[in-house]
Amino acid sequence: MITELEAWGIFLSPLIASPIALVAGRKSRNAAGIIASASIGLSLVLAFLLYLNISSSTSVESQYNWFYDINYGIFVDHLAIVMLLMVALVSLMIHLFALYYMGGDPNRHAYFAETALFTSGMLGLVEASNLLEFFMFWELVGLCSYLLIGFWFFKPNAASAAKKAFIVTRVGDLLFLIGLAVLYSSMSSVSSDPLSISFIVNNASRLPSLIGQYNLTLVSLLFLGGAIGKSSQFPLHVWIPDAMEGPTTVSALIHAATMVTAGIYLVARVYPLFYEAYPVSLYIVLFIGSFTALFAGTIGIVVNDIKRILAYSTISQLGYMLAALGLGSMFGPDVIAYSMYHLVVHAFFKALLFMSAGAILLALMDLRDVRQMGGLWKRMPYTVSLLFIGSITLAAVPFTSAYFSKDTIIGLSYTMYQSSGTLAMALPWLFLQFGALATVLYTFRMFFMVALGKPRSHLASEAKDPKKIVLIPLAILAVLSLGYGVFQGSFYGYVSPGASVPAIPAFTEMLSIAFLLIGLAVTYFLYAGDRFTRIHPEKIPGYRLLANKYYLDRLFTNAIAQGTILPLSSSFAGAESRYNGAVERFGGSFLRIGNALRKLQSGVVENYFLLIIIAAAAVFIVLELAGGL
Amino acid sequence: MIIEYIFAVLVAASMITFFTGGRSRQFARLTSLAIAAAVIIYSAYRFYPGYDGGYISTFSLTLSSYTGFYFSLGINGFTDLLVVLGSIIVLAALFISDRSDDPVYYGLILLTEVGIFGLLMSTDLFFFYVFWEVVLIPVYFLIGLYGGPRKDSVSLKFLVYTHIGSVFILLSIFTLYSYYYSEFGILTMQNADLLSTPFFATIPYFYKVFILTGFLIGFLVKLPTFPLHSWLPDSYEEAPYPVTVILAGALSVMGGFGLFGILYPLYSQIPSFFLWLLIALGILSLIYFSFTAMFQSNIKRMMAYASAASMGFVSIAFGSGILGTGNNGIIDLAGGMFQIFAHGLIVAFLFSLLYYIKTHTGHDTFYGLGGIYRESPVMATLFLGGLLASLGLPGLAGFVAEFSIIAGSYGILGPLIYLVIFSMIITASYHIWAAQKALYGPYNENLGQVRDLSRSESAAMIFMLISILVIGLFPRIVFPLLTGYLGGIA
Repeated sequence: MITELEAWGIFLSPLIASPIALVAGRKSRNAAGIIASASIGLSLVLAFLLYLNISSSTSVESQYNWFYDINYGIFVDHLAIVMLLMVALVSLMIHLFALYYMGGDPNRHAYFAETALFTSGMLGLVEASNLLEFFMFWELVGLCSYLLIGFWFFKPNAASAAKKAFIVTRVGDLLFLIGLAVLYSSMSSVSSDPLSISFIVNNASRLPSLIGQYNLTLVSLLFLGGAIGKSSQFPLHVWIPDAMEGPTTVSALIHAATMVTAGIYLVARVYPLFYEAYPVSLYIVLFIGSFTALFAGTIGIVVNDIKRILAYSTISQLGYMLAALGLGSMFGPDVIAYSMYHLVVHAFFKALLFMSAGAILLALMDLRDVRQMGGLWKRMPYTVSLLFIGSITLAAVPFTSAYFSKDTIIGLSYTMYQSSGTLAMALPWLFLQFGALATVLYTFRMFFMVALGKPRSHLASEAKDPKKIVLIPLAILAVLSLGYGVFQGSFYGYVSPGASVPAIPAFTEMLSIAFLLIGLAVTYFLYAGDRFTRIHPEKIPGYRLLANKYYLDRLFTNAIAQGTILPLSSSFAGAESRYNGAVERFGGSFLRIGNALRKLQSGVVENYFLLIIIAAAAVFIVLELAGGL
Repeated sequence: MIIEYIFAVLVAASMITFFTGGRSRQFARLTSLAIAAAVIIYSAYRFYPGYDGGYISTFSLTLSSYTGFYFSLGINGFTDLLVVLGSIIVLAALFISDRSDDPVYYGLILLTEVGIFGLLMSTDLFFFYVFWEVVLIPVYFLIGLYGGPRKDSVSLKFLVYTHIGSVFILLSIFTLYSYYYSEFGILTMQNADLLSTPFFATIPYFYKVFILTGFLIGFLVKLPTFPLHSWLPDSYEEAPYPVTVILAGALSVMGGFGLFGILYPLYSQIPSFFLWLLIALGILSLIYFSFTAMFQSNIKRMMAYASAASMGFVSIAFGSGILGTGNNGIIDLAGGMFQIFAHGLIVAFLFSLLYYIKTHTGHDTFYGLGGIYRESPVMATLFLGGLLASLGLPGLAGFVAEFSIIAGSYGILGPLIYLVIFSMIITASYHIWAAQKALYGPYNENLGQVRDLSRSESAAMIFMLISILVIGLFPRIVFPLLTGYLGGIA
């Protein structure tokens, strides 16, 4: 009972705090941030207590009827508790930093109300016991991201980025919704609680016999569609780089804690659906994940906006997580632990990276072009050191935590290729391996351009560190980014009982280190000074393709939105007005007939008698012809 | 018996309103508030303790036993819900009526409420039809007297178009009436007799189809369903905002009640091609209206099409729910009825807010608006809430219905579900597009200063949004009434 209350409290605390922050913020703008942060602090404490309570047992579950045969409730197992702790911790750090970062915004009470709601949506999603409840929180998260990306609503870019984010993720969400429909219609006859998550988790092996492998495959692929939209995987990743128009702390929340990880978590949460489906499901997961890892990484190399570099890096890292889940066809459900570990590590260093970038942008008056920075390490030593820690973790430099989490995934993909023996299975491994090279390149390109060399703009030459106290949340995340690797084994064992650290092939290990050294050498040579200003990237083959993001954005905006949907809509509207015109003409002709007949109403009684006689005669003639009376 | 007294009070009040002169606005508002409160308290009192189908509070008055005309009323879970909805819609319409003291206007609006209540409560097809017509006449006058520049032709079009639909219903009713007489030698207009499955099964197939076609044409015009919707966009646009609220909320209630209240009791006798026709028309309406809505530059017209599109779900639910089996069929049908209710609440809310936007800024087109969030954050935020409810965001009332219909109908529709989902993507796109153009982005400085909602206006609107939220979060408030109603028939 206590544990259940703790579980409810975790997401209810920020949910209740959100409107309070909004109302209290009307009186005192600063109160809102404190209320929101405190509520998330409470969530973190409750999550930790719950962690202590359920470490011995396996899960906490409670169900109540929502409507008809759909229930709602709480389902927290080891997978969920790990996620809860991560979300609450990272979100708390971001909220504390936002107290400083958003400190001057006139609408900061609305900001904190929305971020508290955002966090609560994510926490609720993690704990949901029913997939429809899960979906509701999933959409709450989407709504909050829409509001927060468009937080500076007066900027046309922000308004249109928010719209894009909503519509693109909505496409994924509705695929998810069909998945729910398929699952419901096939489960409703075999279970009294058709969309229960714990039923799926606890009856994994019975699923194929209950609802059939075909339905399982369909459901899992539709759910994957939802995950692709939310976790911005290829080809629905186009919303996330534009989403950088929001405040930087919002980007940190979206990228680390509260939104994009939801898609990965969905696949991990209902993993039995994927695992028990036809093998094609997991192969698709693997290919999409690994392809995205390389694809987004290569775009990251040519982008000049510091926040967009980090955005593409997020897409790429999420690709690793999804690919890890796709490896399950060989390594079994233990891959959930491998994927979740990278997810948690990524949350730490990505929040750190975004917030240190945010601190830099505040000093540079939101000048986001890395070509205009340079020499900041001397001018903002603390902030840029934190950025450095984030960068080496992102690049998986040995013995940072991402080194353990990411190289495990790359190594396993190589093992899978080796044991399957088919050449096609080399692709995921190659994608992931070269994705790591791309990661090193874009990370250090960004870092060297920011930190070394001479300032390339007036703003950069005058940048100063913020007060040290506001960097404390970043320092905490930096410690976790560097040191969380020691928990690798215990993390695996906790999330997936019996899982241990798998052996990594020495070959991929060596290759990763070689790539790191090559990447470091190349980027240092080009970007540590100002050599890069002398190269003209337009002349390098392939640059245009990368700089245009493989033309996918254009495909979506030009070919689909403007080329297909708008013309369709215009022709439907044209058809509608022609149809209405035709109906009116048809009706109009009746009115004219009526007008003509009105002339018979002459008011002369003789004429009426004449008409009556003619009509009666006609009736009798017809009756006579028809066979008589 | 209580509901009959409420109804009698409403009839009397609507008559009195015509003679209240300068006080008519106040009188009509207070009456409709009292009626809504009474209806809600009555429903909580009679239906909350548990409802398992059938009529509650029946009342019958013999008018002419020889011809079988009884004035009989009764209420079941489904009609009760619609009566509540009707009273809320009329209340909202009166709340945003600014015509200071025009007794005819207020009398006509209350007369519409009489018609809605009457047709929902009649358990006799004759009086059902009478009240059905009672709704149309006041609405015709409301558009014709108080409408926009094209009010004369539009109100005539509305009357003729919807009346032709009604005549088909009358034809079907009298066919049933005469068949019952030739079968049993009894003249009766009672629903319980004419709409009973054993009797209907004895009718020759051709006449079954004839009767069902007549009913369907009448109901689909009101719903409205493509291609019987031509009255809709012009009427919505020309009608004053309060009347638009009634048109969008109440007329779709009539169509939905026709399907689920009149035809559903005969469900086992409806040939499956009728049901498939309804599904096809529903999907077609969804896609056709969504795409058409996307291209409108007038927000009122856009929302008119959006409202018509979301009623496509109702006919899909009716068709696929009867074809479906087990829990899938029940959740599908209940979802369809839920959609009528949710849609009524949402359009009443949306058009009320659009009325405020129009009166405060002088515009209801995208060209005239832009960035109004800066000047009137409360109004803009509430309108965004309405748009989100209308596009079916989870947590708001519309989603429960849409989920129930999609989940329940998948077993019947199969891959056709992708068309439904596609239309939902289009719906989401133009709703969000509307928000971006009208509410966000740079402020349109031509508007000058825009007044935000006053305290009482925002209180009423927030109350409506909260009701939509509460129904969406706690669908159990209404779901048992619907499943109970279905259970009572099966």
